Amino acid sequence: MPRNLGSAVGGLVLAWSELPKVHCGSRFEKSLYDLIRGLRNHKGNEKEYIQNSLKECRSEIRSQDMDLKATALLKLIYLEMNGHDMSWASFHVLEVMSSQKYHQKRVGYLGAIQSFRPDTDVLMMATNLLKKDLAASLPTLIALPIASLPHIVTPSLALSLLGDLLPRLTHSHAAIRKKTVVTLYRLALVYPETLRAAWPKIKERLMDKDEDSSVTAAIINVVCELGWRRPHDFLPLAPRLFELLVDSGNNWMAIKLIKLFATLTPLEPRLVRKLLPPLTNLIKTTPAMSLLYECINGIIQGGILGEGEDFSAREEIASLCVSKLRGMISVNSDPNLKYVALLAFNRIVTTHPFLVAEQEDVILECIDSEDITIRIKALDLVQGMVSSDNLLSIVSRLMRQLKASSAALAQQNGLDDEPLETDSSDEAGNGPKQRTKSKEQAPPLPEDYTIDVIGRILKMCSQNNYSNIVDFDWYIDVLTQLVRIAPAPRARELESNSAPTPKLAADVSERIGNEIRNVAVKVKAVRPAAVRAAELIVSRLNTETASSRPVVTGALKPLAWVVGEYAYQLLSPDDTLRSMLDIAPRVEYPEVLATCLQSIPKLFSHVAGDDQALWTAQRKSTMSLLMARVIHVLEPFAQHPYLEVQERAVEFIELLKLTAEAASGQAPSTDDLQQDAPLLLTQAIPSLFTGWELNSVAPAAQYNVPIPDGLDLDEPLHPNLGRLLAQADSLMLPTQGDDEFEVYYNQKPPATAISSGPAIERLLDAPEEVAGSYQQAGEESYLDADIIARRKAERIERNRDDPFYILGSTRSEGTSTPIHNILQKENGPDLDIDAIPIMQLDLEKLNIDNGASRQQQQRPKSKSRQRIVIEADETLAGSGTSTPRHNYESENNSDSFTKSKAKKLKQQSLLQFDSSHLRDLSLDADRPDDGFAHERQQREEAEMAQAMKEVQRLRLEMQRANERIQVAQGVPVEGIVVKKKKKKSSASSKVKTAVTTPEGEGGEGSAVKVKKKKKKTVEAAVEGGVEEQPVVKSKKKKAKRVVKLDDDDGQNNEGSQATAAVDDGQ
Amino acid sequence: MINAFLVFNGQGQPRLTKFYTQLDTSIQQRLISEIFTLVSNRPPGSCNFLPLPPLLAASGTSSSSSSATEQNDVPAFVTYRHYATLYFIVISTSTESPLALIDLIQVYVEALDRLFENVCELDLIFNFETLHATLGEMIVGGVVIETNMEKIVAGVRAQGTVAKRPVNEGRSGAGGTMGAAMGAMAGGFQGMGGNFVWHGR
Repeated sequence: MPRNLGSAVGGLVLAWSELPKVHCGSRFEKSLYDLIRGLRNHKGNEKEYIQNSLKECRSEIRSQDMDLKATALLKLIYLEMNGHDMSWASFHVLEVMSSQKYHQKRVGYLGAIQSFRPDTDVLMMATNLLKKDLAASLPTLIALPIASLPHIVTPSLALSLLGDLLPRLTHSHAAIRKKTVVTLYRLALVYPETLRAAWPKIKERLMDKDEDSSVTAAIINVVCELGWRRPHDFLPLAPRLFELLVDSGNNWMAIKLIKLFATLTPLEPRLVRKLLPPLTNLIKTTPAMSLLYECINGIIQGGILGEGEDFSAREEIASLCVSKLRGMISVNSDPNLKYVALLAFNRIVTTHPFLVAEQEDVILECIDSEDITIRIKALDLVQGMVSSDNLLSIVSRLMRQLKASSAALAQQNGLDDEPLETDSSDEAGNGPKQRTKSKEQAPPLPEDYTIDVIGRILKMCSQNNYSNIVDFDWYIDVLTQLVRIAPAPRARELESNSAPTPKLAADVSERIGNEIRNVAVKVKAVRPAAVRAAELIVSRLNTETASSRPVVTGALKPLAWVVGEYAYQLLSPDDTLRSMLDIAPRVEYPEVLATCLQSIPKLFSHVAGDDQALWTAQRKSTMSLLMARVIHVLEPFAQHPYLEVQERAVEFIELLKLTAEAASGQAPSTDDLQQDAPLLLTQAIPSLFTGWELNSVAPAAQYNVPIPDGLDLDEPLHPNLGRLLAQADSLMLPTQGDDEFEVYYNQKPPATAISSGPAIERLLDAPEEVAGSYQQAGEESYLDADIIARRKAERIERNRDDPFYILGSTRSEGTSTPIHNILQKENGPDLDIDAIPIMQLDLEKLNIDNGASRQQQQRPKSKSRQRIVIEADETLAGSGTSTPRHNYESENNSDSFTKSKAKKLKQQSLLQFDSSHLRDLSLDADRPDDGFAHERQQREEAEMAQAMKEVQRLRLEMQRANERIQVAQGVPVEGIVVKKKKKKSSASSKVKTAVTTPEGEGGEGSAVKVKKKKKKTVEAAVEGGVEEQPVVKSKKKKAKRVVKLDDDDGQNNEGSQATAAVDDGQ
Repeated sequence: MINAFLVFNGQGQPRLTKFYTQLDTSIQQRLISEIFTLVSNRPPGSCNFLPLPPLLAASGTSSSSSSATEQNDVPAFVTYRHYATLYFIVISTSTESPLALIDLIQVYVEALDRLFENVCELDLIFNFETLHATLGEMIVGGVVIETNMEKIVAGVRAQGTVAKRPVNEGRSGAGGTMGAAMGAMAGGFQGMGGNFVWHGR
C-alpha cells in the first residue's frame, strides 16, 4: 500500500512539474512545419539539429497534452522516414492512437504503420482499442484500423479481431467494404483460418451484381493473389469472372482477371475455348497497351499457346501474340515495351523455345541496349537460346561491352594503358588506345553487372561440357582477355570474415582461371595453347603489378597449377619459374599461395631435371644458384601461419637443401671424365610429379564410391580419443604463442587446387596439331591487341606448311605464290584449288577437305569440331549429379558443393509476403476437413481454452478491484459479473464467439461511461486488464491517467484509492 | 502484391516511405539508397524498370531455382517514374502487371496534383500526412483498392485534411530564405502525363 501511494504521489508531482511547461510550451514547441523548415535551414549541421529535435520530441511525447504528444509523434514519424529509429516510442504511439480526436488518432495510426516491427511488444495492448475503433460509426474512423491492420497484424491479433472485422464487409460505405476485403486477405496470410470464415462473405460480395465496382475490383485483386496459391478453389468462380472480363470495361480489373485465368486454365482446359474469343478481341481492339500485353502474357502463361484440338484458332493466336511481341521488342519501340516483351519471351522460352528462337535477331539487339535492365533480361533469355551457331556472336557482343567498359574505367581511374602493352608488339600498341577514345562516351558498367556478365559468358561456353564451343583457340583468347577485364577484388574481403561471404570479384577471376585449366585438362588438342595462355597471364601478372603491391587475383591459383603441371608445354619454363618466384612472396590469399608453392618445384624439376644434359661446371653453378634462389623464396613460408602453405614450404625446402648438397658434392664433368647430374635432381624430384595421368572427375563421383565391407565409420578411431586430444591441446598450448596460428586453425579448411581440384592428366604423346580457326570479323574490337597479334602469329605459324593458306605480305617469302593470289582474285573464293597443281605438296597431315574448308573460311565449324576431343568427367555408375552442366561451379572448390547446398536452404527474401500458410487451407466448404486441419483446430481450441482461463482469472482479479472501487462509490456490480459468467459458458467451444466477448463488455462500458468521469476511469482499467501479458504496463498507464483526472477534479483521495486497487489487482 | 511504395527526390532524400511488410528502419534506408543509386544512373531513354537492387536480389528470384509459385511472393519488379525533382518507386511481386504499375504511379501523382493544385515537391515535404492518406486510398496492405481518380480524391477529402501550401499559412515571418527556396522549387511536375502512350484506366 505505501508503495502504491508513493507512486501516486510521484505521479502527482510529475503532473505538477509538467504543468508550467504545458502552459508556456507553445512558445518552445515546434510543429512539424517548424521542424522541416529548421531542417532546411540547417544544411550542413543537420545531424546536430536532428539530435536536438529528437531530444525535444522525447520530452514532448511524454507530455500530458495530447496535442503536444501528437505533434511530437508526427515529427518522429517524419524523422523515422529519414532513418531515425523511433521504436522506443511505440507506447506513445499507442497513446496517440487512443486519442478522442480524429486528426490525432490518425497520426497515432500512421505512427503504428510506420514504426511497428515484428518485435514491438505493445501491440497486445492495442487489441481493445482496435476493436473499439472498428466498431465506430464514422467511416473515416473505421478506415483507420482497417488500413493499419495489414502492417501490424500478428496471428493472435488476427484471431481476436476477425470477429470485429467481418461485419465491416457489409458496411454501407463501399470504401470500407473494399478496404476490409484486403485487410481480411492480409489477416489470412498470417492466420489462414481467417479465410474459412471470411471467404463465403467475400464470395457473396463478388457474386453480387449490384456491388460497387471498386469493391468488385478490390475483391478480384485479392482473388488474384489467392488464385496462384490455390487455383482449384476458384474454378467454380469462372463463370462470374468471365462475365466480369467481358462486361466490366475496367482495364485494371481485366488485367487481374486475365492473370487469374492464366492460373486457372491449366486446371480446366475447357476454359481455353471460352477465353480465346474475348482475348483475341481484346488484343485486336484495346487501346491500352498494358491490357494488350497482359492478354498476350495471359495466353502464354495459361498454356493456351500449346497443344489442343482447335488447331487453326491456336495457330492464329500464337502468330498474333508473337508478332505483337516482336513489334514491342524491335529497335525503335518504347523501352518499357521492350522490357515487358522480354519478360514474356522469358516465359515462353521454357515451353515454346522454337517461337523465341525465331526472334533471335531482335533479342540479340537488346543485349547491346544502353539500359541495363533490358540488357539483363535479354541475357537471361539468350542464355537459354545459346547454340554452337550463335555462341560466337553472342559472346562477341558481350565481350565488346566489357572491353569498352573496362577501358572507360581505366580512363576514369587515370590509369594509362601503356604499361599493359609492354609485352606486345609495336603494331598492336596503337590499337587499344584508339578504341579507348572512340568508346569514351560509354560509362563504365557497374561492377556487379560486369561480374554477372563474365559469369554468364563462362556458363554459356562451358555448358554441356563445352558442346557449344567450336573454336577453342578463340575461347582461350576470350578467357585471356577476361582475366584482364575482371574487376579486381576489393581490398581484403577475405580477411574480415573467414566464413562464407560471397567474395564475388575474387571468385569471378578464379572462375575464369578455372576455365583455362579445365580446357587444358579436358581438351588435349588445345592444351599447348591453354598452357601458353596461362604462361602469358602469369608473366603479365608479374610485370604488371608493381613489385610492392600484393597479387590478389584469384585466377592465379588455377593458372599456377596449369603452368606447373604442364611445364613441358611452356615456351620458356625458365622465365615462368622466375615469374612464379617473383610472384609468390606477394600473393595475398593463402590458398592461392599454397598452389603456387606446389607449382614452383614442378617448374624447377622441369627446368633442372634434364637427365640427358651433361653435368658441366656451368650447369652446376646455374643449378646451385637456382636452388639457392628457390630456397630463399620458400624459406619465409616455413613460418607461415596457414598450415597448407607451411607444410609444403617445409617439405620443398628440405628436399631442395638435400639436392643442393648433392649437387655441390658432385664434381662437374671434365673433358675426359663424364659425370652425371646428381640423381636426386634428375630422377628423384621429377618422379614426384610424374605418374598416373589425372583426369577430370565428376563432382559427385565421390559420393558413388561404395563403402567397403567391414568399414565402420561410426567406430571411434581410438577408444580414448577425447583424452588424447585433450592432452595434445594442453601440450600445444604453451608453445602456441602466436595468435595468428589460432586464427588460421579455427578457420574453415580452405580448398586447395591440388587436393580438391579436378583430375589431372598427363599427356603421353605430343599433342595433335590444333584444327584451324577462322577469324571472326570484329574480333579485335574486344580482344587486346597483343592477344590478337599473338593469335595472328600463331595462325601464320600453324599454317606455314599449309599450301592453301595465303600468307600476308609480311611473310610473303613463305610458300604462297603470286599465281595463287591472282587465281583467287579472279575466280573468287569458291575456286577449286585442288584441281590446280602448283607445286609438290606434302599432304601427309592434312586431308584435302579440311584444307578446302579452311580456304573458304565460311563454315569450318563441323570440320574442325570433329578433331577436338573433349574429355568427359569421370564418374562411377549411378551418379545422379555428375552432369557436366555444373562443371565449372563444382570442379575446383570443394566447398562450392556445400555452398550450393546452403543456397538451397533459402533464406527469406526482404519484403517477402509469406503466403505459404495458405496452401494448406481449403476453402471448399463441401469438402470434409482433412486430418491435419482438424488436428490444428483442436489444438487451437485447446489454446483458446487456455487463453480463456487466463482471461477469466484476470477478470476475477479485476472484478475484485472493481468491487472495491464500487464499494467506495456505492455502485452495484452485479450486471457486469453476470454477463461475464454467461460468456464463459458459451465461449469454451467456438473461437469467434470468444473473440467477441470483450467487445460486448466494451460496449457496456461506454454506455456507463457517459454518466460519470470516475466511472470511466474504472472501465478503462478493466479494459486494459483483459490483456494477458502486458498487464503491468497498461496498469501503469491507467494509473497515471487516474492521477491526472484527479488533478483536474481535485479529488485526490478516491483517485489514489482506485490506483491502489488496480495495482493490487494484478 | 505491392511490397513498397517510395518517393524520394533527386538527392535521395525520402519524401514518403511505405513498406507493406515490416522492415527495420536501417534496412529500409539501405534499400532506399541502393534504389537511389540505381535510379540516378539511368541513361536517357531507359525503361521504367530497375534491376533488383543487391539487397533484394541476394535472396531473391534471379539465381535461385525455387519453384515458379514461390517466386510470386518475392519482389520481382522495381518500377519507377521520374517527375520533375522526384522519383516515385514501386516494388512489387510478379503478380502485378508491370505496365499497370507505371499507370498506378501516374494516377497517384495526378491525384496529388488534384489535391494540391499544381503540386510540387514542397507540397509533399510539408504535407506528408496527405501523401500517406492519398496512398492509403489507393493501396491497402499491398493490394490496389482504387484506381479511380475521383474516388481517391473524394476519399482523401473526406478525411478533411488537405492542407494548403505552407507558404500561404502566413507563418513565413521566421524564415526569410525560405521564400526564395520555395519559389525556385515550385516548378511543378513538368513531366506529368508526358511521354507514355498507354493508359490502363
